[in-house]
Amino acid sequence: MSYEKITLELKDGIYYLGFGKDEPKSLTVIAKETLEDMDKALDKVEGDKNAKGLVLFSHKAGCFLAGMDISVISELESEVEAAQGCEKGQEVFNKLEDLKIPTMALVDGPCLGGGLEMALACKKIICSDNKKTALGLPEVMLGVLPGFGGTYRLPKKIGLTSSLDLLLSGKQVKAKKAKRLGLVEYVMPAERLLEKAPEYLMKKSSDNKSLQDSLTEKASENFLARGVIFRKARQSVLKMTKGFYPAPLKILDHLESSFGKRRSSYLASEANAFGELSQTSQSKALQHVFFLQDEAKKLDNKESIKSVKRGAVLGGGTMGGGIAWLMANSNQSPILKDLNVEGLRVGLKQSSDVFSKGVKRKKVSQEEFERKQRSIKPTLNYNGFQKADLVVEAVVERMDIKKSVFKELETKVSKNCLITTNTSSLSVNEMAKALETSERFAGLHFFNPVNKMPLVEIIRHDNVSEETINRLYKWVLDVKKTPVVVNDCPGFLVNRILAPFLNEAAYLLDEGVSVEAIDKAVLNFGMPMGACRLMDEIGIDVCAHVGEVMEEGLGARAKANKLSQKALEKDLLGKKNGKGFYLYDEKGKHTEVNPEILKLLPSKEKSMDETTIQMRVILPMINEAANILQENIVSDAATVDLGLIFGIGFPPFRGGLLRYADNEGLERIVGAITKFADEVDKDRYELSSYLEDLVDQKKKFYTE
Amino acid sequence: MQPVYLVQGKRTPQAKAGTILKDIAAPYLGHYLIRDILDETSIGNEQVDEVIIGNTGNPPKYPNVGRVIALEAGLDKTTSGYTVHRNCASGLEAMSQGFVKIASGRSDVIFAGGVESMSQMPLLFNEDMTEFFMELMKAKSPADKMKVLTTFRLPHLSPVIAIEQGLTDPFCGLNMGMTAEKLAREFGFTREMQDEFANKSHHKAVNAQKEGKFDDEIAAIIAGKSLSEIIKDDNGPRPSSSVEKLAKLKPFFEKNTGTVTVGNSCPITDGGSMWLMCSEKAVKDYNLEPMARMIDFHFHGLEPERMGLGPALAIDGVLKRVNLKLEDMELIEINEAFAAQVMACEEVMKNQKLADKWNISAVGEVNRDILNVNGGAIALGHPVGSTGSRLVVTLAHELKRRKAKYGLASLCIGGGQGGACVIENLMK
Repeated sequence: MSYEKITLELKDGIYYLGFGKDEPKSLTVIAKETLEDMDKALDKVEGDKNAKGLVLFSHKAGCFLAGMDISVISELESEVEAAQGCEKGQEVFNKLEDLKIPTMALVDGPCLGGGLEMALACKKIICSDNKKTALGLPEVMLGVLPGFGGTYRLPKKIGLTSSLDLLLSGKQVKAKKAKRLGLVEYVMPAERLLEKAPEYLMKKSSDNKSLQDSLTEKASENFLARGVIFRKARQSVLKMTKGFYPAPLKILDHLESSFGKRRSSYLASEANAFGELSQTSQSKALQHVFFLQDEAKKLDNKESIKSVKRGAVLGGGTMGGGIAWLMANSNQSPILKDLNVEGLRVGLKQSSDVFSKGVKRKKVSQEEFERKQRSIKPTLNYNGFQKADLVVEAVVERMDIKKSVFKELETKVSKNCLITTNTSSLSVNEMAKALETSERFAGLHFFNPVNKMPLVEIIRHDNVSEETINRLYKWVLDVKKTPVVVNDCPGFLVNRILAPFLNEAAYLLDEGVSVEAIDKAVLNFGMPMGACRLMDEIGIDVCAHVGEVMEEGLGARAKANKLSQKALEKDLLGKKNGKGFYLYDEKGKHTEVNPEILKLLPSKEKSMDETTIQMRVILPMINEAANILQENIVSDAATVDLGLIFGIGFPPFRGGLLRYADNEGLERIVGAITKFADEVDKDRYELSSYLEDLVDQKKKFYTE
Repeated sequence: MQPVYLVQGKRTPQAKAGTILKDIAAPYLGHYLIRDILDETSIGNEQVDEVIIGNTGNPPKYPNVGRVIALEAGLDKTTSGYTVHRNCASGLEAMSQGFVKIASGRSDVIFAGGVESMSQMPLLFNEDMTEFFMELMKAKSPADKMKVLTTFRLPHLSPVIAIEQGLTDPFCGLNMGMTAEKLAREFGFTREMQDEFANKSHHKAVNAQKEGKFDDEIAAIIAGKSLSEIIKDDNGPRPSSSVEKLAKLKPFFEKNTGTVTVGNSCPITDGGSMWLMCSEKAVKDYNLEPMARMIDFHFHGLEPERMGLGPALAIDGVLKRVNLKLEDMELIEINEAFAAQVMACEEVMKNQKLADKWNISAVGEVNRDILNVNGGAIALGHPVGSTGSRLVVTLAHELKRRKAKYGLASLCIGGGQGGACVIENLMK
C-alpha cells in the first residue's frame, strides 16, 4: 500500500508511522490526505495480529506536526460541514486510541493543534529537549477550539486546571514544562528518540504524580470545586477578552457540560462547538489576521540576504535604549552612542528594565540578562561603528541635527552598513539628501515601547535600493517583529491613520462629548485603549506636534484641533507628567478625569450615542487609509490592516480596519462619511476618491 | 626573536572590594575590554589567536576564566583561551606568555591581561563540614543518614575564608602583611616614613584623576544591580588623605609593635586590565598603530618571607636581559603592595652590599620623581590577578603622554618572587 503524506514501516514487530518525509516547507502540517493515510495505516496495524506496537514520529528534524493546515479550516463553509470535518478526524484518532498494542509519539519540534491531539491519542508521548520542541493547542487564537478530541484527552491526561490554562490561552509549553505537567512521559535528546523507542514503548509507565497534583485532580472531581474552577476561569476570560471573543467562553461551556461524559457524547459536543465557532465573524477575522501575519513573514531568497551581525544605535534615551535592547536580545552586541553619559544611562536603564521583567517572569535567566545587557556597549565616540552592519538613528527630531549626524556618521561606517532613521515625523526623502550614498539609507520606525510593540515600519525614499529594503525586512523578521514597507509621507502608515482618529476625538471633546463617553465607545469598539487615554499615553505634546505635521502635509482635511494646544498651555502633557485628560498616580496608573481639562471643555455636556461616536472616529481612519492606497504609500489593504493591528492594536477580531470596512459594506461607509461631511465638517470628512471609485466599481478593499 | 607590539591597553576602573564592582563576576571585568580594544582596530572577531588571562581567586563557576572571557567578548569560538596564575603577577605572566608566543613567531594576535573580583572570592566549608557532607552522601539508609546527621557540630559551619588563605604564605606561614613588617624591621623603616609614602600615593592618584590622566586607559564598565550604571573612575584615591589621618590607624598585622597598617598597604580590590599584543605581521596586515613595544620580561625567586624585595631582583634581571640601565628608564612603576616593601626595594637597588645578599647588581637609585607618578596600588588598589598587566597599561599611557622612550614595570609576588618588564613607547 502506498501513502501520500505518511510512511509506514515494520521493524522487529513494531510499526513506525512517519510524517514530513521530503516536506519542502519548514513546518509539516496535517492535510486532509494525512488523515486519510493514517486511517488506512491504522487499519493495517490493527489487522496485524503480530504487531507489538506503533510509534509515531517525524522524518523532519525539528518539527513533529505544526497543526492542521489552516486553509482547510478557512475553507469550511458551514457549521455542519465543519462539525463533520471534526468527526472524521475524531474517528481516526479514536482508532489510534483504541489500538490494543502500546502506542507512542516521538515529538521533536512543534507539536501543535491537531498534532498534539494526535499525540494525545497515543498511550505515551516522548519529547526531545530541543529548544524548538513546543506542545500546545493554539486553536483558541484562531477563534475555534481543538476539534479532534483535544478537549477530551488533554484534561484526562493533565487534569482540568492545567488543561484550561492551555486551552484558553493557546500557549505552548516546552519539554521541561510538558514533563512537569504530565503531558509527556519522558524527555530525551532528539537523536535518541528513534533508537530508544522500542525500549520505552514497552516500559511500564510509573504513575509518579506529586501530592499536589493528585489533590488538584481530586478537587476537580468534586462538582462543587469544579464549579469554582469554571467560574474563576470564566471571570478571567471575560476580563481578558472583554467579551469580544466567543471561543474561550465556548470552550468553558463545552468542558463544563461534557465533564465526565462518555467519549462519544463528549466528542459530539466538541465537534458541534467547533462547527459553531468556525463560522463566527471573529474566527474568520482571526484566520485572516493569521494569514496576514504569515504572509508578512515571507521573504524571497531569505538565506542569500546578508544578515546583521552587529547593530548600533545613535542616541540613548528611552527609544534608543529600547532599540539597543532589541538588538542585544537578538545577539547583535549593539553599540549605544550618545553625546552625554546621562543619555547612555537612560538607554541602559530602559534595556535593563525590559530584561529584568523577563527575569521576573522567568522568560530570561539571570545569566542571559547579564550577558545580553553587557553586550551593549555604551559609548560617547564612534569606535566600533566601522564594524556595524546596521545603524539606527534615534536622536532629537530636528531635520538639521539629523542631517549633520548622518553626514558625520557616513564617514565612520563601512560601505555596506545600513543607515536608518527612527524619525516619526520628518521626511525621510529630505533626510536622504544629506547622505552621499543614500541607497543604503531608509526609515526604520519603531513604536514605543519597543519591546512590546510588534510592528516596525520600513520607510522608503526615492533613492533607496531594493537590497536595503530586503536587508531591513530580514532584520526586522530576525528580531521577531512584524515589518511593513511604506513609502515616505507625513506620519507614514500607522500614525497617518491614527492621527485623524485622535484628532477627531479631540473635536468631539470640543463639541461637548465627555472624556468618559468617548473612551467607553472606543473601548467597546474593541480598541485596546480609549482615545483620550491613548493621547495621554503618547503625550499630548507629541500629539499636538503630529497634528501640525499632518496639517502641514495633508492640508485642510487634517486641520489640527485646538484643544491639545490649549492643554499644552496648561502644562497638561499626559502620562509623562501625571496630568493629561486623566490624572495619574506615581505608578502611572490613571485615577480620574483631570478636572483641569474639564475647564477647557464646553460646560454643557453633549450626549451622543455610542455608535455615532465610534463612527466619528473610525470613519476618518478608513477614509485616510483609502487616501494612502490611492497614493501608493503601501502596496495593498492587507498591509494597512497588518500595520494597524500590530501598530495600534486595532481589534484583531475585526480582522483589521479595511477588512472591517469591507464587512460593513463600503456603500454604507461612504454614505456615513458623506453625511458627516454635511453635518460636521466638509474638510475633515472629505471623501477619498479612491473609496468613491471602489463603490462605483462595486469593489472592496480586498480583492478576494 | 620577532618584535612584540603592545597595540592598545585598557583597564576597568578599580574599586575597593565590596563596593561598586562587587556584583561583577570575574569574566565581565575583562570581556568588554577586549571588545572595546578590538573596536578601535580593523581586526575581526575571528582573527584573534589566543586569550591569556591572569586570575588568582579562581571563581568556582569559571574554572578557566580566560576561555570564558574569549567567548563572552564575542570572539570566534575557535579562539583558544586559558588562565594563568603567578599570584600577584598573574597579569604580567599572561603578557609574558603572549610575548614568548609572538616573539617566537607562533602567534600574531593575542589578548593578554588579568581580572580579579576579590569581592567574590568564596567562603569555603571547612574540612570537618566537607567530611560531614561526604559521609552523608555515602549513607544509604535513612538510619545511616540519621547517624551521620547526629555528628553535626556548630563549629562545622565556621568558614574558611579563601582570600585570607590565599594571602598567607603556605611555606613560611606568614601573612603578606607580616612579610612587610619583617622588611620594615630589617630596614629600619618607621611608621611615619611608610605613612608619608602612602599619603603621596593618594595625592598623586587624586591629581591624576583631576587632570583626566586615566581617561584614556580606563574603559567605562556597566555596573550596579540593574546593570545600568556606568562607572568610569577608581574609587580608591582619597583627596582628604593626610599623614596625620594615616597615623591614627592601628597596625593591622602586628597589633602591638607593628608599623604596617591598612593605610600604608594596598586595599583589596576588584578590577581587570587587558592588552592587545601583536606581531609585526599583524601590525602591517591590520594597519595598526601600536602604543609600545614590549622589549622583554624577567621573573626571579627569593625567600618567601621577604617576597616584598622581589622587584629589586626582577629589575636587575630584566635590565641585564634588555641591556639597558636604570637611568635609561623615564618612568618606573613598582607595585605598592606595601609602602615598606617598595622602600626596601629602593634600598637594595642602590646599595651593592645589600644587593650582594641576593647575588644581584645594585642597579642604582630610583628617582622618586618618575616612580608611580599617577599613584600606586596603595591608592588605586591591587586586584591581584590584574595588577601585573594594569601596571603596564598605566605605564604605557603615561609614556605616551610624556613622549618618553623606555618604561619599567615591576611587582613583588606572594610566595617569594619578583617580576618586571621593560617597554618602549612608540607614540611620539
